[in-house]
Order: sequence, then C-alpha cells, then structure tokens
Amino acid sequence: MIEVRELTKTYGQSAALDGLSFLVKPAQVTGFLGPNGAGKSTTMRIVLGLDRPTSGVALVNGHRYESATRALHEVGALLDAGSVHPGRSAFNHLYCLARSNGIGRSRVSEVVEQVGLAGVANKRIGGFSLGMRQRLGIATALLGDPATFLFDEPVNGLDPEGIRWIRDLMRSLAAEGRTGRFARDVFVRSPKARELAELLTGAGAKVVLRPDDALEVSGLRAPKIADLAASRRLPVHELTPRSASLEDACLQLTRESVEYRAPGATTEASRR
Amino acid sequence: MTTTVERPRPGAAKAIVLKDVIVAEFLKMRTVRATYLTLAGALFAVALGTLVVFVVAGAYDTAPVAEKATFEPADPTVVVMPFVAFFVGCLGGLASTTEYGTRSIVGSLVAVPRRGILVAAKVIVVSAVTPAIGVVLAFVSFFSAWAILGSRPRPFNPWNSVGDAIPSVVATGVAVLVAALVALGLGLLLRSTTGTLVTLGAVLLVIPIFAHFLPSPLGERVASFLPSDLPAQLTASNDQYILSPMGVLLVMLLYVIAALTAGVVGFKRRDA
Repeated sequence: MIEVRELTKTYGQSAALDGLSFLVKPAQVTGFLGPNGAGKSTTMRIVLGLDRPTSGVALVNGHRYESATRALHEVGALLDAGSVHPGRSAFNHLYCLARSNGIGRSRVSEVVEQVGLAGVANKRIGGFSLGMRQRLGIATALLGDPATFLFDEPVNGLDPEGIRWIRDLMRSLAAEGRTGRFARDVFVRSPKARELAELLTGAGAKVVLRPDDALEVSGLRAPKIADLAASRRLPVHELTPRSASLEDACLQLTRESVEYRAPGATTEASRR
Repeated sequence: MTTTVERPRPGAAKAIVLKDVIVAEFLKMRTVRATYLTLAGALFAVALGTLVVFVVAGAYDTAPVAEKATFEPADPTVVVMPFVAFFVGCLGGLASTTEYGTRSIVGSLVAVPRRGILVAAKVIVVSAVTPAIGVVLAFVSFFSAWAILGSRPRPFNPWNSVGDAIPSVVATGVAVLVAALVALGLGLLLRSTTGTLVTLGAVLLVIPIFAHFLPSPLGERVASFLPSDLPAQLTASNDQYILSPMGVLLVMLLYVIAALTAGVVGFKRRDA
C-alpha cells in the first residue's frame, strides 16, 4: 500500500510536483503514467525516501519508507538500472545489497537464476548490456521477496525479447499475488451479514464486516462460502472473487508502455 | 511506466540489525578494485621509504667516521607515514564517493533507508579497517628498515629493540584513522571522489609543505595543528611542536568531529 498526500517538490523556482495525492491499494497493479518531466520518477524517489518532499507525505505500508527496517522485504524497486558499480560482479553487487538486509547467498543465487543471469553472475557489471543491467535491477527488486514492487520504466531501452521477458515476469508476479492472496479474497453481500460473518469465521476464514452488509472474506474460496451459507439458509446477494482482472490489467499496462506498434493499432490500456 | 504489484508479505518485519549493514559495507569495500589500488599506493610509499633507508645505510657505511655522527636517524616513518595516511585514508572517502559516483547510492538507500544506520555502518567499517591496515603497513615499514639497519649504532639506527618502534606504529594507526574519518566526512559532503581525494591530499601532503616554509617558530606552531603533523607529536620525538599528547588527541578529535558532523548532517538532509 502506497499513500501519497499533497506531495509538493520544488527545485528552486520550478515545481516538479504540486499537491499530488493518490493511493495505491494492495492487490493492485497500478500504472503511473505521464509525459516526460511530469514528476513520475521524482514521486518514486520521494516514496522511497531518496528525496525529501518540499511538503506533503508519502507512506509505504502506513509508514515513511525511511523508517523501514529490512526494507528489501518491504519494497522491491527498480529505479535506474544504470545505478550500479561497474567494477563489481553481478553476484557481488546483489550480495552487498542482500547482506545489508540479512539475506544470504543462496537467495542471491536464486534471483540470479530467475532473471537469467546465472551464466554471467561472476562477470563485472561494466561489461553488461542495457538489457542485462535491467535484469540485474529486477533481480535486486526480487531479493527480499517483497509484497510491493516499484518499477520505473522497466522496459526502457530493451529489445523485444527483453520486453517480453519483463512482461512475463510481471505477469507471474501478479499471478503469484493472486494465488497467494487474492484468490482467497471474496466479496460477499448478504442481508444477514453478521450471522454469515460468524459462520465463516468459525470455518477458519478471515472476515472484515463492512457497515453496508458486505463482507470481505479471505481464507475461503467462493464455492465453499456459498455452500456454508446455503447450509444455514443464509441469503447471499453477491459473491465475487476479486482477482479476475489483475493479470489483464498488468498486461494492458505493459502493452501500454510497449510503443513498438504499427500506426492505427488500438491502445485501450486503462488510464487512471 | 510504473507498476506496483502487491503480494503477501513473508512474515513480520524483522528487527534491524546494524551488524548486517556493517558486514555489507565491509563487503562493498572488499569487492571494488579501487580499494586494492589505494592499498597498492600505500605499499608503494612503504617500499620507497625502505629503498631510501637502504640507500642512506649504504651512504652511512662509506662515510668517514667524523661524518657518521651527522647522519639523521634513519626512521622512514616521518616520510612514509603521511603517504600511508593519505592512501589508506582514501578508503574512508571512497566508502561514500564511490556510491555517489556510480549512483549505486540509490540501491544502497533503497535497501537501507535509515540513513543513520547506513552512515554508522560506514563509520564503523572505516574505523576498524583503516587503522588495522595502517598498523600492518607501519610494521612492514619498520621491520624492513630494522632488517636493513641491522647492528648499525644509534642514533643512526633509531631503534634499540622492536619495542622502540611501537609508539610510531601506533601513531601511524591513529594518523590513518584520523585521515580516513576526515575523508569519510569530506566524501559524504562533497560526493565526488576527485574532489574528496584532492582535498585530502592538499590537507595531508601539500599544506604541510607551505607550513614548513614559514619562519621559525611560526612554522612549527602552525604545523603543530596540521593533521599531517599531529601523529608525529604523539611520539614526542620532536620538541619543536607545541602540543602535548593530550592536546594532539584533542585536535585530532576536533578534525574528525568537524568533518563527520558536516558529512553526516549533509548525508541525512540532502536528496540522494
């Protein structure tokens, strides 16, 4: 969860950000779009505590990122793949960062493998192509197996193969998220919400009861919830698993950033 | 394009361990070539000093008896120590400027957003590593000269026993520590490797030359307060200086506190 409130950042006379507010809720792939110089990177740098806002606050999981301990477990960030020491080997680069968060060598080897750099892990980064550096940046983001990822222009300058790789990776991250958390997240509306909440809690689910007779249920799948409700003759007006569009949204967003398309082709990516 | 994917967090946040950040900082130091280049520079200074002792010893042996008494003690420390302090002190500056030069500071701060902890780890690593290297190099320098001078008499041979060398070895360790911490503070403030090393070189190697051209006793008085000349006063072998050992330590402490305070405050306040 990322919460930005009334963020302002001025450099001398010019304002890079002027009263920006938004909320990135958990369980969402959120695209952050704008023309060059709109302040996208500045916002991300402020969210990650690299720059200080002139006014306003940016919160990650409810607190300022600067107060995070073991931050790699919290957010995986790719800001600029070029920001690495060219003299270090890929493995050592990752291990230096991993070690500062108490992450061991075996995890470093895992992410190196995952991003396809295993063959060059002991080579100096200076000799890496832009695409390899991008993979290295993604590997850094993956190190702590965080719940939140922040990618700034992840496909910038990549060849089609690299773009496809990043799209696939993001798709799999989103899919993991869905199986890990959202597939069990079910929205239920019932006039007997309170009784249904007790019943489901008794069955081992985590239930958030909302004032408008709605329930947010995690830990039970939709069919099981329906069966339980039926067994007690509790009416259910709505039963919606909340994962369906996640992967689609991710794909649409990555498609949006891939501008190698013939003129006239439609881009229907969702803008927020 | 920007994307945020939220996934379940693996376990609760672990307590921050400064130790991990310290290990990571040590790892960063060990995994770049510049570290070994500066050490090679320091070793080169020691080798040159040893060579000078060798040449002087040869001249001493061939000199007439009357002239032998006019030879200064063949202690290479006085010449070598400022260079060792400079080269090993560079490690303190590089501990921060390397990260700014390559922009890898971004990754470091995303991994360890608590700047106080990151900078504390740097101070601790620099404080532990550099004096240790300084002491080792001082011993190498001493034992080389000691072996060359052999049974030649005092005062040309400055040492009666190994124990006589201890004060100057300790002084070298302290000199290196002061240079490294001042360099670390400068590096955090200036962020540029070139700027930091040139400043460090000017302070340690150039300014003393000007001081020595000042008329006596003004020259000695000014020199007494220069970082380059402080360690020599610890061994109390030169009575032209005006500071007591306690006074020396106090002035050293002031240099370190001034440089580190400026550096750390700048590091914590400024945008990365």
